[in-house]
This record gives sequence, C-alpha cells and structure tokens, in this order.
Amino acid sequence: MNNLVFGLIAVLSLFAFFKLSKVKASSKQLNRDNRINRFGNSKNKNENIIEGEAEEITDEEKKDA
Amino acid sequence: MSKHAAINTFGRSANPAFTKNFGNTYGDIPVAERMTLDGAVNKTGILLSLCFGGAFIGWNIPQLMFPAMLIGFVLALVTIFRSPAKAGSTAPLYALSQGIFLGGITMFFEAQFPGIAMQALALTFGILATLLVCYKSGLILPTQNFRLMLVSAIGGIMLLYIVNFVMSFFGSTLSFLTSNSPMSIGISLIITGVAALSLVLDFDFIEEGAEKGLPKYMEWYGAFSLMVTLIWLYLEILRLLAKIRSR
Repeated sequence: MNNLVFGLIAVLSLFAFFKLSKVKASSKQLNRDNRINRFGNSKNKNENIIEGEAEEITDEEKKDA
Repeated sequence: MSKHAAINTFGRSANPAFTKNFGNTYGDIPVAERMTLDGAVNKTGILLSLCFGGAFIGWNIPQLMFPAMLIGFVLALVTIFRSPAKAGSTAPLYALSQGIFLGGITMFFEAQFPGIAMQALALTFGILATLLVCYKSGLILPTQNFRLMLVSAIGGIMLLYIVNFVMSFFGSTLSFLTSNSPMSIGISLIITGVAALSLVLDFDFIEEGAEKGLPKYMEWYGAFSLMVTLIWLYLEILRLLAKIRSR
C-alpha cells in the first residue's frame, strides 16, 4: 500500500514538472535587477546610451563655457 | 567628437564585435537554432527515460554498477569541462550509465530496507515539482549571492566526500558522514537541502538560456545539468532515509 501511495506521488510530481516546466516564469522572477548574470546582461549595458538629439560642441563654444 | 554625436552621425554599429559588447550576444543565431524551454524540457524527459531504462538494467545486473558509475563520472567531467557543445551525445550516455549505477545501488538499499526506493523516488520528484512551482511563481529568487552561497556549500561538501573517500583506503571514515547518529542525520539533511536548492540554479539556467536564445545544444546541456542535480538529490535522499531507518 505504501509503495502505491509513494509511486502515485512520484508520478503526479513528474507530471506536474513536465506540465509546469514549459510555462514561462512569472514577471516577478524575470523582471528584476538582481538576476544572476551568466551570459552578459544586455539590459544594464544599454542603460549607458542616452536617447535623444546630440549637439556638437565646437572648440569656441568650449572656450566660452 | 562626443559619443552621442558619433551615434547621430554614423548610426548604431552593426559590427558583431560591438553588438557582442553592447547588445544581445546570441542575437545572430537563427530562431530555429535557438534554445527553447520546450526543447530543454523534452530533452530532460529523454534523459529521465534513459536513466529509468538504465536503472532497470542495473537492478537486474548489479555487477555493472561500478563500471557504469566510473563511465558516468568521466562522461560528466567531459561534458562539463571539455565540450558542452557535444552534450547531445554525452548526456544520453551519462544518463544511461548513471541509471545503471542507481539501479544497482537502489537494489542493495531495497534489500536492506524494503520500500525505501519508492520513498526516495517520491521525495525526489516531489521536491523537484515543488521547487519548480516556487521558482516559476517567484517565491524563490536566485541571485548572485544565492549562487555564491550554494557553490561554496557544494565545494565544501565535495571536499568532505573526497576526504572520506581517501580515508576509506586506510580503513577509516568520517563518522559524522556515514554513521546513523543524530548529528550525521542532521548533516545529511543539510546536504539534501543544498542538493535541492541546486535545482533552482538549473531552472534559472534553462529559463535564462531560453530567454537569451542560446545555441540549440544548450538544451542538452541544461537537461544534463538538471539530471546531475537530480541524481545527486536522489542519492542523498536514499542515504538519509537509510540512516533514519537503521536507527
């Protein structure tokens, strides 16, 4: 009887594992800043690029400033 | 010329050397050749089936147990340190050989403590499913510190096992690892906990690999790393249950 119960638990757990594994993790898990950085985090590196129009500063303007 | 002026004048670079540093490292791999969650899960299923097949052989022919263990150990080292890209061929062989070893060792434990195999199996898969729920829901959030802590703990445990293995050649063992004293059971519980938490790192590796679009062979590598942890967890649970039942 014990073997039957434990066997059933094993089969149900395996079934749950295979069903749930294919579901994407929650946003709480994926969208956070402290994730393990295994393959290089592109998100943080992109933060260095500031979007918007750029202005060229001439040498004269630099001197005036 | 300032950095922003350069971007305005020449646009964003398409040079792979720059995209490697500033963008997605694996962006140039075609979609069909990228790692997916489904692929990694299917491969885990294949490895588990091979492991069960091997266990059937090992249960019936226990003489194969130690050669299979050695072959599995070498295959694991080759897969991890030499060629993760060849995990597609080494991981199935690893699962089969470790299955033979597990089948043999389980047969010996079962002969001593009837019913222990099914209990260990149920606990292993129960922990696997529970931790997966915890990971997917965000209840457990693996961070860099979490990984450092686990890797240090695994390093310490492996060192203990090596010392115990070397001591066994001189007719002695570390009693707190092998006896059935309360301290030994406590240490076994801690080791089982570390093995179980290592599963979270494997889930995170597979999830991140699929998200970043790693090459397809990493599906095999992810499934292989999950199998290594599962086999370790099963063995620890088997030892823990044996210690408890022998009291």
